[in-house]
Amino acid sequence: MKTLIARKVRPRPALITLGIALAALSLCSCKPPFSDRDDIHEVFRFSEAGAPITMDPAQASTAYENNMVTSIYDQLYDYKYLARPYALKPRLATGMPEISDDGLVYTFQIQQGVYYADDPCFPDGKGREVTVHDFIYSMKRQFDPAMLPRGEWLWRGKIKGLDAWKAAGSDYDQDVPGLQALDDYTLQITLNQPFPQLVYTLTMGYSSFVPRESIEYYGREAGLNPVGSGPFQLESFTTQRAVLSRNPNYREEYFDLAYEGYAPETQGWAGLEKLQGKRLPAMDRVEVYFMSESMTRWNSLNKGTEIHFGGIPTELTHMVASQLSPLKLRPDYADRFTGMSAPDFGFVYMAFNMADPRIGHHEDPEQDRRNLLLRKAIRAGFDWEQRNRTFYNGLGQFFPGIIPPSLDAYDPDLPHTLGTADLAQARAYLQEGGWTAENLPRLEYGATANVTNNQMFEQFRGWMERIGYPREKVVLRTFATFGDYNRAIRDQEVMLIPIGWGMDYPDSQNVLQLYYGPNQSPGSNLSNYDNPEFNRLFEKTKVMLPGPERTALYRQMNEILLRDVPTISGMVRTSPFIWHRNVIFYPSESPHGSLLKYAYISPKTAEEAQH
Amino acid sequence: METIQYAIRKLLYSIPLLFGVTLIAFTLMVYFGPDLTYSLLGKSATPEQIESVRKQLGYDQPFLERYLMFLKEVVTFDFGNSISTGEKVSSILARTVPVSFAVALPAFIISNVLGVGLALIAAYHRGKLWDKSVMVFAVVGMSMSYLMIVIAFQVIFSTSYGLNWFPVQGWVDPIPDYIDAGFFETIYYYWYYYWLYVTVPTLTSIFVSLGYNTRFFRAVIVEEMNRDYVRTAKAYGIGNGRIMVKHVLKNAMIPIITRIIISLPFVIIAGNLVLENFFGIPGVGLVTYDAITNGDLPVVKAVVTWTAIIYVFALILTDIAYKLIDPRVSFTK
Repeated sequence: MKTLIARKVRPRPALITLGIALAALSLCSCKPPFSDRDDIHEVFRFSEAGAPITMDPAQASTAYENNMVTSIYDQLYDYKYLARPYALKPRLATGMPEISDDGLVYTFQIQQGVYYADDPCFPDGKGREVTVHDFIYSMKRQFDPAMLPRGEWLWRGKIKGLDAWKAAGSDYDQDVPGLQALDDYTLQITLNQPFPQLVYTLTMGYSSFVPRESIEYYGREAGLNPVGSGPFQLESFTTQRAVLSRNPNYREEYFDLAYEGYAPETQGWAGLEKLQGKRLPAMDRVEVYFMSESMTRWNSLNKGTEIHFGGIPTELTHMVASQLSPLKLRPDYADRFTGMSAPDFGFVYMAFNMADPRIGHHEDPEQDRRNLLLRKAIRAGFDWEQRNRTFYNGLGQFFPGIIPPSLDAYDPDLPHTLGTADLAQARAYLQEGGWTAENLPRLEYGATANVTNNQMFEQFRGWMERIGYPREKVVLRTFATFGDYNRAIRDQEVMLIPIGWGMDYPDSQNVLQLYYGPNQSPGSNLSNYDNPEFNRLFEKTKVMLPGPERTALYRQMNEILLRDVPTISGMVRTSPFIWHRNVIFYPSESPHGSLLKYAYISPKTAEEAQH
Repeated sequence: METIQYAIRKLLYSIPLLFGVTLIAFTLMVYFGPDLTYSLLGKSATPEQIESVRKQLGYDQPFLERYLMFLKEVVTFDFGNSISTGEKVSSILARTVPVSFAVALPAFIISNVLGVGLALIAAYHRGKLWDKSVMVFAVVGMSMSYLMIVIAFQVIFSTSYGLNWFPVQGWVDPIPDYIDAGFFETIYYYWYYYWLYVTVPTLTSIFVSLGYNTRFFRAVIVEEMNRDYVRTAKAYGIGNGRIMVKHVLKNAMIPIITRIIISLPFVIIAGNLVLENFFGIPGVGLVTYDAITNGDLPVVKAVVTWTAIIYVFALILTDIAYKLIDPRVSFTK
């Protein structure tokens, strides 16, 4: 009887399991629908580790957002694709600007006959011609608090009348004296004082040409309905993927290898010659996958039929590559992929909160001196090399001071010994300052709560113990989200601030402003460092044109920072990227906006196709 | 009629519950949730900008005023626009909830049906090899890290290291414009891609939940098998299969149904962050997670409210199911 029961009961789940297995198998054996009617156009499938939230140029601030914005919208200028050091080129402008002798008036000409992508926001849905009025509108949006703009700080106090326009209520019908359309194609920007970095800022997504119609038509959802004149238009967007298709109204633009700064001796391996003369964008369709899970990204890339471009997860680097810099793939992977290790256009560092009298500026000169020695001791105990090996695959590049190697004023002669711990020196500083285990202040290390940050803190605590800091006096102060951490930093509540800085343009002014007194929190000077000597030099250099004199002053400022130790800096992280062999691409973690228009999948040769 | 009256009564009773849920959720969001202010500002904000953004976000208003605004949104079902993306919250949910539901549904059905089946087998063979095998399988499933299972299943079924049968990630695309598909072709297209993308996440979910379900259902069934009526039925000479399915299972259905229906709200609206993240599924789980970590209150408020409402309906549905299963259950006091 028992057997009978068992027979009656058992088959049901078994049948269901069998059913699922059959259904699954049928998928494996079925022909995909419409596989005989597939589009002839190939698709480039790019991947990123994070997703954009908005594609409104007024608000798009992350690298992921900027990538989308600069794919869809035009700016006046861009960087040459391959030139290193980075070199500017006109994008919507016809050439470099005419600059008045006093450096205050910039005149720009833009190309005629450039049209926005067709969109319902325009009458009859047809994209209209781009004019400089769109640029003026876009810049005004950056100064309209209702738009929640994030690029205003770039031009704050710099363009004549723009701040006053904001103060008067941001009325778009009111003119701004510093932003004048001489005609539909001629723009004149008048500055309050010379701003040599102006053209750099006009490559950024914040300065995109935005048609007013689209903002008025889509209202609050404008960030999800971008309408630009760039190479691509947005076809669809979810939290996992954005689909970009060629903007049919995009002007004729052809790739010129020499003009883009091609260097065959260093870039010849990438096969970029195949791009020569191609009309841009090189692909009709690009799909950008937002994949925060590095293993999913890797699996998808390694599969061979999904994404074409991605990174190598840290845990797999030694399986995939025999050498990371320059990147050398193991034979199994070298057959299918090519790649390179690209440095970030930014760096990580640890700032001291100089507004905290326990470690920073102090009214009492003697205590101020002791605090300086304490900071010096902590810096001497900080081992960038070990951090590099532990967390960055040994690919990171240490640099002393705050000017990284990719910037003009980088000084290769500065002592790199600061990158390794010097315990004897650290202890000597503590002794010189009269610091003992009893009187040392509690060190509060701020971080968002995650495993990596916890590990970094433990490493830091270990270093501090080695220089004589009592373990219980080095504590971790965690924050649930980066937003909370950021708020605490801006409120000057965090003592030790490990953080990163993504540079905006290749001019050292962009990093030196991190220590300019008036930029103190909630501004970008998170260290709250305030040194009259440094401030004076910063004010002097910020109106100077590039040249040896300015470079010398930049280096002098860098040395002041090394002397006063408001920061322990820094390391440029480098990440290995790989892509399928038939993809022509040259990634850059740089001030460049989107490089997607250059991505190209070269057709298979007859032999490859047969294979 | 009695059922309808009961449902209406229960709905009215649930108003304080909704009130409590919204109050607790809102308090947590306001006092412990992230502050969105600095995420909405540029790299170098001024105090005036900070004040302006805080004002726009309503952070400067008293708690009570903000809560009353929330209640108004609950009553009108208008949660406004996401602070982060600007998209209407209703559009976000309309776009993502069906996706999460479509992913969760097959696993929900299969893991419960399989769970009951395996529990019947285990319970019937209590203490024997079948029982031990099923329980070992259940404990293994329960003990393994969810994340590990997701990664393992992805590698086994979707990558060139394994069987390579399914895509690593992605979701069903609309039929491309250049294809003029007929009705049956359209059905086939969606059927094909739906199962292509949903199979591995479904297998993963089944593997994870089956252990929990089976153990719970087995315990309920074993308890029921010890009842006097089972011995009586056996004494009457009723076949064991009939006893197990028609009598034991039917009487064990109340806790089983409770468990199944109570988990429905999470299937319908909560989504699954891990699955969505690993398999590239544009569902509501990831949206909710991002909203919580970014402090996007309108989205969080909408998800909390809808979850609470569906939960209330699930409770009512559970009570009605009790009555259907056991006629002795009465809705009158």
